Amino acid sequence: MKKLPLLLLALVTFSVIAQNDLPKVDMTTLDGQPINSNDLSIDDNVVVISLWATWCVPCIKELDAISEIYPDWQAETNVKLYAVSIDDSRGVKRVKPMVNGKGWDYTVLLDTNNDFKRAVGAATVPLTLLVKNNQIVYRHSGYSPGAEMELYEKIKEFSAAN
Amino acid sequence: MKKLILGAFMFMGAVSFSQDNGYFFGGLESNSQWLMPDEKIGFDAPDDRFRSNNYVQFNYSLGKFTAGIQYETYLPTALLGYSPTWDNQNGIGTYYLNFKNETLDITGGYFYEQFGNGLILRTWEDRQLGINNAMKGLRVKFTPTANIGITGVYGQIRNGFDVSEGVMQGLDANADLSGLLNIDAVELSLGASYVGRYQSNGGNDSIPANINAYGGRLDFVANNFYGGIEAITKDPDVIVTEEVVSSPQLFDGTALQVNLGYAQKGLGINSTFRRLENFSFYADRYQEGNVYNEQIVNYVPALTKQHDYLLSNIYVYNAQPRLLFSDSEKKRAGEVGGQVDVYYSFDKESFLGKVGTKLAGNFSYWAGLEATFNSEEQTYDTKFIGDGPRYFRDLNIEVKNRWSSKWSSIATFQDVIIDKGVTEGGPLGEQGDIRAQIAVIEGTRKFEGGKALRMELQHLWIDKRRKNVDDKNWAAGVLEYNLNSAFTLYAADAWNYEGEGEIHYYSFGGGYTKGPARFALNYGRQRGGLICVGGVCRFVPTNTGLTANLVVTF
Repeated sequence: MKKLPLLLLALVTFSVIAQNDLPKVDMTTLDGQPINSNDLSIDDNVVVISLWATWCVPCIKELDAISEIYPDWQAETNVKLYAVSIDDSRGVKRVKPMVNGKGWDYTVLLDTNNDFKRAVGAATVPLTLLVKNNQIVYRHSGYSPGAEMELYEKIKEFSAAN
Repeated sequence: MKKLILGAFMFMGAVSFSQDNGYFFGGLESNSQWLMPDEKIGFDAPDDRFRSNNYVQFNYSLGKFTAGIQYETYLPTALLGYSPTWDNQNGIGTYYLNFKNETLDITGGYFYEQFGNGLILRTWEDRQLGINNAMKGLRVKFTPTANIGITGVYGQIRNGFDVSEGVMQGLDANADLSGLLNIDAVELSLGASYVGRYQSNGGNDSIPANINAYGGRLDFVANNFYGGIEAITKDPDVIVTEEVVSSPQLFDGTALQVNLGYAQKGLGINSTFRRLENFSFYADRYQEGNVYNEQIVNYVPALTKQHDYLLSNIYVYNAQPRLLFSDSEKKRAGEVGGQVDVYYSFDKESFLGKVGTKLAGNFSYWAGLEATFNSEEQTYDTKFIGDGPRYFRDLNIEVKNRWSSKWSSIATFQDVIIDKGVTEGGPLGEQGDIRAQIAVIEGTRKFEGGKALRMELQHLWIDKRRKNVDDKNWAAGVLEYNLNSAFTLYAADAWNYEGEGEIHYYSFGGGYTKGPARFALNYGRQRGGLICVGGVCRFVPTNTGLTANLVVTF
């Protein structure tokens, strides 16, 4: 227990100097090609990174809900959504048929070893990040019906702020 | 080692103040419960009523280096149902130092790794299950070109705040054949793995000190089709039942997994076949089959659909990879089975498409390997598939609709058959099975300003013509109200109205999310049974209490 206060102090210190950089982690595309998280947001356009899993009902509801209005979002703000599946080997084979079966137009990435999940500290999914110039500018965990509208307000807010 | 990494951590922290080009990331998770005695469900709260699991993780990245440390406390004791290994412990659970450039990725300390599908090696953390089998040692990943990758690991498996006696080593190689051979028509990748364990046999030559496993795999994507195969063989090893060697013979193990799928816009199909024979792998031979999955080094999930509703989570499957050979128990050699998933969205122009109809169906069937055992000679023969006892069968379909911008619904129906031994323990394939049909209707109404109301109605019918009727019929309901996207309240009840005592497993609570923080509070009764995450399960006894969860990421 003696170490605890010291660690908490270190924690506070670290969180003050936290830079909100998007951690640099390797993932793969649905076709098995490697891609690094730092290649997702390279300019002023806002990028949505949504961590989800095939077994996570709220995650699927969120991605289904966004899917309905995604073309409008893209037309208005140039936003791009990356859906990062944290499925392990139990569910990862379901990702491709599910994404196709649902007709999602997102770029889907696989984080099978959960390196990205750990790096962004996602204890639970869904976790939605807004990233701009490789900086995490907004994050929201969980999904409730209608939360996609609030997310879109944030996307517009950060898209406008140049 | 620990001091070295801590030192490196401090150094990098100091450097970052001057250069300001490093960044910090991490998180905090706290899960606590206050147990309360509840006569109605026969729960006599233990003396340690307050229990709390806490994790603080921080990482620092500077240039090509990243270092991290995770501090954990299980004080005064770990949550109910977790391994006693954790009780009253606290300390630094994991730490690492990583260097990464274009071709090399080197990690010293604790790391999480998976080879192929994880059947031969997977180290991972699951806080809900109390699993953390991170490997402590050294990992080197070498990627000389974009088409070739090699990973080598060496170390011991984390066990509580200690590590395994057994020492693991492994090598994994991946090659992108299409890239190497310039093939465009088909995406082909090849992989090969080796994992070995050394554990002293204490001078007993009848026990092998070294156990090696070898595997190969091939994956392809061709137009809309995709698939893969992985096969693994493991050296003959002793079989252990409850920490005792239970046969003078040594037995080898095998695993085979085949996957085939088809995906086009609006339609996706996936099918998986898997056969496991005497295929459990632990860093300590005497820990084989322990109920807390401690020191496990591979990942053998139940390949079934992971359900998310109260009543569809009563009868869940758990993979049965083990060979059991002692006279005192029902003999068995492993499992074989498969599953098929289908996803379909109706075209937006069609009638069903106008109301946003989306279908998802799943069928799975798992059986014990058909085998004949010769107790005198301590040998057995199995068929490749055969007609072994059925352990589990699940057929389920889900229909999602979006009726308007305000109303949406989900209807699901499930027909499940499970062997009594799988769900309640005891020998498999001889106690009879349980069949249940479960229907769930869920409706969501969205209001202005981010408000929404969600309702679930569920019913479970037991097939009463069978010998086992378990707790008979259940009815359940859930009501959830979102005041806005940050604040949620819910009340739920699963009523076992035909079971003994006609118990209501009620619960209510709420959650609040603010940026990177999430806090949830629940009060209620927890039905005893298997809690499964990713197809790996942990048994939780029936209990009543208050739970609080806090997650902060930064």
